[in-house]
Amino acid sequence: MLAYMQAIWRCRYFWASLVKMDLRTRYRRSILGMGWSLLHPIAMTIIFCLVFQHLMMPEEGAAKYAPFLLAGFATWNFIVTSTLQGCQCFFNGEAYIRQYPAPMAIYPLRTALGGLIHFLIALVVVLLTVWVLHGFGNLLVIWVLIPNMVLLFAFAWSLAILAGLANVYFQDTQHLCEVGFQILLYVTPIIYNAKLLRSRGLGWLSDYNPFAAFLDLIREPVLEGKLPSLEMYAMACGTLVVVAGAAIFTLGRCQRRLVFQL
Amino acid sequence: MAQILLDNLSLTFTLRQHARITFKEWVVRRLTGRTVNAAIEVQAIKNLSLDIRKGERLGIIGHNGAGKSTLLKVLAGIYPPTSGRITVEGNISSLFEISLGFEQDATGWENIYYRGYLQGETPQTIKAKVQPIAEFSELGHFLDMPVRYYSAGMKVRLAFSIATAIEPEILLVDEVLSVGDMAFHEKASKRMREMMAKAQLIVVVSHDLESIVKLCHRAVWMDHGRMRMIGTPREVADAYIRSVGLPVAKAA
Repeated sequence: MLAYMQAIWRCRYFWASLVKMDLRTRYRRSILGMGWSLLHPIAMTIIFCLVFQHLMMPEEGAAKYAPFLLAGFATWNFIVTSTLQGCQCFFNGEAYIRQYPAPMAIYPLRTALGGLIHFLIALVVVLLTVWVLHGFGNLLVIWVLIPNMVLLFAFAWSLAILAGLANVYFQDTQHLCEVGFQILLYVTPIIYNAKLLRSRGLGWLSDYNPFAAFLDLIREPVLEGKLPSLEMYAMACGTLVVVAGAAIFTLGRCQRRLVFQL
Repeated sequence: MAQILLDNLSLTFTLRQHARITFKEWVVRRLTGRTVNAAIEVQAIKNLSLDIRKGERLGIIGHNGAGKSTLLKVLAGIYPPTSGRITVEGNISSLFEISLGFEQDATGWENIYYRGYLQGETPQTIKAKVQPIAEFSELGHFLDMPVRYYSAGMKVRLAFSIATAIEPEILLVDEVLSVGDMAFHEKASKRMREMMAKAQLIVVVSHDLESIVKLCHRAVWMDHGRMRMIGTPREVADAYIRSVGLPVAKAA
């Protein structure tokens, strides 16, 4: 395992340059450039704020709802794009896989890192919005975002590995993931608060939802100014152990013969 | 200490009749009792044993589909063998389909960096090599343009220039000895000879029998995945030419 991570580190210039190239290609002919990666969550935030604020969070007002939405969408988009683009990562890297024996995990890593960069940009906007609208409750708590983001990144990378491998063998995986995430978007407290679910006796949808745990790891420090609860950490870490374990196991079994499936 | 050791190596590709079938087809076939997706086994390499030592230049010749390029990919570590053992000591640099792996929207300069990092360069080492690579390719200001606008020959020039800017221990070459237009061909041949002089161990696949005879110490004749003959390049080349039904040229 350690030798594998060292092998990934050894070809760091290669995958780092791929990530840079992905970013440059995406915005090569565009005027706004990286600004577009913000437009989706900001647009969704504005729409939902205008339309749903009274329905979803009547007692808190737009000043709390807008950052709540933005933080939720940013994190959610990171997870979703890591998985959906991860489905294609081995096909996109096929030319390299056929020429150069590298650890296979670098192709999903490329996807997850691209998503991370967009997430960080959106997070900066969220922090600015919170600071402008009602200031931070407890500035020290913001630092806990760093380890939380590490957990979130590990989760996204593991999902990308699993999605990429599954999609090579069953190309329906991408479509299944798209449908699955659409459903999860409405079942997970992104547009609405978990309180809304609990008040209707559907609290279990949020409490046993691993995605909700990761969302709260980011939202709690930023919006509420307090550390995420132990239950949230336990849920997130437990999910991470399961997903990362599955990713490592599947990668170990499939990566040598993956080239035959492309 | 560069060395390659192959011990009774075999590689079998298990191909499916249809690359991918949809879920609906799968269900229908199961229900109608037909075999779902017939597996076709292709034995690409059969029981190959080979010992290549430091300082040796080995040539591989054979008909199309004999398994030469497959063997090179096994040596490079891209295909895992189905059975048998392979031991490779030393850093491997390979010149396979050299036009693969270009990022179309990136400029020539950027591609030099990407391909360089792929070959294991670090930012420090590649900086020193960028200018010599650019000069060797003779592409001039075309390097500022995205690679998607290059002609096939220009891509080959660039790919060759980047791929040969390395100091390999073990060099694996797959039919890239003949590239580019006539002027470039002369330069490329000279560069290949320089590279080969620097490398500790070389395995070359080529259809150009004369260059194999000139460059290599030993040659292997692959036939339908099996090593049919191994010996001096002249012997093996003559045997191959005779098997194809062509007359062997008298030695000068």
